[in-house]
Amino acid sequence: MLFNSYTFIAFFIVMLILHNLPFPWKVKKVNLLIASYIFYAVWNPPFILLLWLSTVVDFFVGRALYTQENKYKRKLLLVLSLIGNLGMLCFFKYGGFLLENFVELMNAVGVNFHPAKPNIILPAGISFYTFTTLCYTIDMYKRKSKPVKSMLDFALFVTFFPHLVAGPIVRPPQLVPQFETPRKANQQQMLQGLFLVSMGLFMKVVLADSMLSSSADSVFGFPGPLKAIDAWLGVLAFSGQIFFDFAGYSVCAIGAAMCLGFVLPQNFRYPYAAIGFSDFWRRWHITLSAWLRDYLYIPLGGNRKGEFRTYVNLMITMLLGGLWHGANWTFVVWGALHGSYLCVERLFRPRKASEEITPAEKTIPLTPAMEPITVVTTSASFAPAFLRSKGMQKFLLALFTFFLVNVTWVFFRSPDFTTAWRLLTSMFTRVPGGAPLLATVDMIKVSVVIVFMVTTHWFMRNTTVLEVAQKAKWWIVGIVWTTMLLLLILSQASSSSFIYFQF
Amino acid sequence: MQSKHFLKAGILTLILIAGFIIGWELYLRSKGLNIAYDDGGALWADKRAKVYQPSDKATVFIGSSRIKYDLDIPTWRKLTGEDAIQLAMEGNSPLPILDDLAADEKFRGKLVVDVTEGLFFTTNPGNLTDPKKNIGHFKKETPSEKFSFQLNHGLESQFIFLDRDNYSLAAFLDKLQIKNRPGVFAMPLFPLEFGRVTFERQDIMMDKFLTDTNLQNQVTGNWKFFASISKEPPASGQKLDSFLTSVKNDCDKIKARGGEVLFVRTPSSGPYWMGEQKGFPREKYWDRILSFTNCPGVHFKDYPAIDHFVCPEWSHLRPTDAVIFTENFVQILEKDKGWSFSHKDSL
Repeated sequence: MLFNSYTFIAFFIVMLILHNLPFPWKVKKVNLLIASYIFYAVWNPPFILLLWLSTVVDFFVGRALYTQENKYKRKLLLVLSLIGNLGMLCFFKYGGFLLENFVELMNAVGVNFHPAKPNIILPAGISFYTFTTLCYTIDMYKRKSKPVKSMLDFALFVTFFPHLVAGPIVRPPQLVPQFETPRKANQQQMLQGLFLVSMGLFMKVVLADSMLSSSADSVFGFPGPLKAIDAWLGVLAFSGQIFFDFAGYSVCAIGAAMCLGFVLPQNFRYPYAAIGFSDFWRRWHITLSAWLRDYLYIPLGGNRKGEFRTYVNLMITMLLGGLWHGANWTFVVWGALHGSYLCVERLFRPRKASEEITPAEKTIPLTPAMEPITVVTTSASFAPAFLRSKGMQKFLLALFTFFLVNVTWVFFRSPDFTTAWRLLTSMFTRVPGGAPLLATVDMIKVSVVIVFMVTTHWFMRNTTVLEVAQKAKWWIVGIVWTTMLLLLILSQASSSSFIYFQF
Repeated sequence: MQSKHFLKAGILTLILIAGFIIGWELYLRSKGLNIAYDDGGALWADKRAKVYQPSDKATVFIGSSRIKYDLDIPTWRKLTGEDAIQLAMEGNSPLPILDDLAADEKFRGKLVVDVTEGLFFTTNPGNLTDPKKNIGHFKKETPSEKFSFQLNHGLESQFIFLDRDNYSLAAFLDKLQIKNRPGVFAMPLFPLEFGRVTFERQDIMMDKFLTDTNLQNQVTGNWKFFASISKEPPASGQKLDSFLTSVKNDCDKIKARGGEVLFVRTPSSGPYWMGEQKGFPREKYWDRILSFTNCPGVHFKDYPAIDHFVCPEWSHLRPTDAVIFTENFVQILEKDKGWSFSHKDSL
């Protein structure tokens, strides 16, 4: 079920009513669980079985991991859990990709091998709920927290509908305790939750779908070279689209959970205002980067095994992070670019931190780079006064980071390397025969939305929407809320899937 | 105090939204507009799901835009006692849909294929994309999407402003008609009054379009534009033969299962008809479809009752003429083509 659909609106209204009726807490949890299964099943009913399998197996394996004293049996149980979860993910997500590459390899060495193409449907959200259950079993192995007492609470932790299909990826200590005591939203939480749901839908439906997606699709789907401005606007359109689409989903998820009285972790923190890539990964898909740090980067050794090994660990983490997004070598290259940027940043970082971590950053899990933000300031006397200001230098560095991020998005969005190369050459060179593609109205739409996005990110980088809304006058909040909802109603976009549903 | 902050903002929002929607809806109704439906994948899929009705209960229609205007579905229902399932798509070739129906073993009904030569024999892949998208939507539609469609139908049947093609944010921005750079292709706009889509997917011209020559000239201007950008010559020789073979194969599959296929050439007039005669001579295209496929056909020029229409913009019938065309078309099917409508007297 999509958040941006009438079905979800009807479903959510029913859920809110049921959750606020005077039922016992256990009945409410059962309601939430059944609703979450319905939420998933209306996409493709048979795949509920996979979700059940994952839930039941990991509940019992998790408990066994915690209670088992024999070191070897514990390791065996962990391996079984990893094989089960990752095996399922690999089959559904990478089965076709692995076979394709195997066939190419065989053909390259002269073996004539042409198997039938498998028709594997990728279950929605498998990457997300697999990582959620893996969190649990690995934490049980490390005994980081106690096992979840009831199957009901565990099943609800895995399938809670706001985060089920596209995150945020939640850890057991973040959500399970919330199921142990009755909770429902008070008036403030309900209204703030509805505000966030409105904002999330506005980001997805108005900004991502109505304003940006057609330009991005046109540019990335064009079979020939383009004029530089068209190529750049198409890539910028995609950078906006993927942010508004994915962050919009996360905001909807957080808002929907808030309306029910639950708190989900923040997943985006104005990433296009990031200064450097360590900062970027503290702001973009925060729960994924934290998961990769805690369950991949640190177990590999993190930065505790010398400089060279740190770079290797960074690259492995980012390469696998790229591959997580999809079964295509372009995602691996996307991950490799981010890994390279992090490595270069680490190489040139000053040895001492020259800037304190702000209070907001202290509470946010650090990224694989594990480095506090540092800013290299220059005080060249020939620079104009406005460029010498720290604020302006930071802003320019943020723009430079945004520029580099856009280069990586070319690989992320392109279906193949031919398209990626064609776009990059159009962006950075004057290609003969480069065609003008985008209509003027689309160029204006993309430009206005991207400038609005970058500016908003910059001014909001150290705060949150709800903090700003609390400080603003109530009628300004009302007007902003009205504007978002009116544009949402007027956009009348059809229910298009969220980009991250395919991951 | 904190909790009142969002409460006051929420109440203000509700009041402003309600005021805007009521005001906007009343304004559109005051302009004489009627209810229309978004003719997207969901509505098409809703009709596509109906093709499995027995052949004595429904006839399926595919084609481009002409049959959507020219077939008056209420008249068809009244005269035949059968449903008309409209799967034609404006500006697109019907052949992907013909392929889809041919490949669907469960389809064994009556099929009428409307031929607009420029689109039927198109080699432009752009004229095949939307039908394929709609077919994809039909095949992959989830239970959630079906339910959303039903809810949306309830709202669309009450509110005029829910008209994506004309009153969405994107439509407003397109209407600004900001000049494009040389070399940029942009689809020309059609006036809203040119066609309002019913829930049965029939297109109906508004009265204002019929009396306003400026609006009609806007549409004829669009036809001239499309003619000017059409670079590829019509298919001929071996290319045309393989094209017709593919059509024949599809027709044979449907007939082998007990279905029936009939081709129809709906009316066009003025310069458009002259251009079509020149670009797609009847003996080379229309006659060959019938002889290749061994299927019956109704060409508007063969029947005096339907060869006299003057299309307001050269290509589609006005609503009153669509009724006359449909009445005569049913008669032709019964008397000349041997079709029988067993539920004719049931209404």
